[in-house]
Amino acid sequence: MKRILPFAIILLVLGVAVGSGWYLTRVTPGSPATTPAPAASQPSSNPQQRPAPIRGVPGAEPAQTLGSANAPVQLEEFGDYQCPPCGMFHPILEQMHKEFGDKLRITFRNFPLPQAHQHAIAAASAAEAAGLQGKFWPMHDLIYEHQRDWKDKMDVAPIFEGYANQIGLDVERWKKDIGSEQVAQRIFLDSRRGQSMGVKGTPTVFINGREVPFDQLLEEKLRVVIQNELAAAGSR
Amino acid sequence: MKLYITAAVVSLIGLADAIYLTVEHVTGQSVRCTIVAGCSEVLSSQYAVVAGVPLAAVGAAAYFTVFSLAILAAFGYRFAGTLLTLVVLLMFLFSLWLIYLQAFVIQAFCQFCLLSAAVTTALTVIALFARRTARL
Repeated sequence: MKRILPFAIILLVLGVAVGSGWYLTRVTPGSPATTPAPAASQPSSNPQQRPAPIRGVPGAEPAQTLGSANAPVQLEEFGDYQCPPCGMFHPILEQMHKEFGDKLRITFRNFPLPQAHQHAIAAASAAEAAGLQGKFWPMHDLIYEHQRDWKDKMDVAPIFEGYANQIGLDVERWKKDIGSEQVAQRIFLDSRRGQSMGVKGTPTVFINGREVPFDQLLEEKLRVVIQNELAAAGSR
Repeated sequence: MKLYITAAVVSLIGLADAIYLTVEHVTGQSVRCTIVAGCSEVLSSQYAVVAGVPLAAVGAAAYFTVFSLAILAAFGYRFAGTLLTLVVLLMFLFSLWLIYLQAFVIQAFCQFCLLSAAVTTALTVIALFARRTARL
């Protein structure tokens, strides 16, 4: 008995460790079983009980948007280009844009966290400066898609300049605009709007003025949230 | 004997922590970014993966090894005690490297990674004490 006991204990711990690891990886990504619908189903069934939309102070105008201005679902993301979860959220939002088209308006707001991310401001400025030439979204997409390529680099300016060339910007003008008051002001106004709406981290997403919980920002969950919001808009 | 049981219990804390970090890594459920940089930068950095394997998973395997050796040592297997000291010392050195990476290269601390370093430090102290008492 005494000879088997240590090995039995070891095997038991191995079993528990592997089992719990396997269970958690399967459950955490948010299969509906883990969060039984309250957050998702509440909007459509009970519109009266929902918290009032948060208005906040205005951000930069005109805002960087995708989709139709009078879409029934207005989604506003506060993001930081160097924040890894924002980078992971980017393709999800692109997918939603593809699926919902004009029924969903997406607004991107800058909420850089320079204390945590040394290149956050540079990236936000690069995208906003591209916006002055009407190419905000192509730049926005490239910066997010290649986040892993630049976020650990010392000097990101040449990398972003490569993107500027790639999307056909007037690079000299873009370089000047990066440091311009106009671009800095846009980033400042977006951040101030975020603060007034209680944003503390990124990505923070609002749909029709109500914050979407962080764990709902996965593709399959966000889709349900948007569908519910569409249904609620239809029944009004 | 008692020291080895303590080491086994402490290594379980490290094991649970490493499993948690592995799950965070694999599922990509890293926490939101805030003004204080944190686990999301550390876990998504290039240092979090070695040859395609999440470092946290390597950590989990290491803690499991320590646990196994500590149990064997507690049951009187002498070689296990020697091996335990060796493995723990290696883990300690590796933890120092990881803290260096967090402090100077990634410039973000992940509290769960720091917990792992604390557990390894505790294990190092216990293992060295166990060696001393074994020799006496």
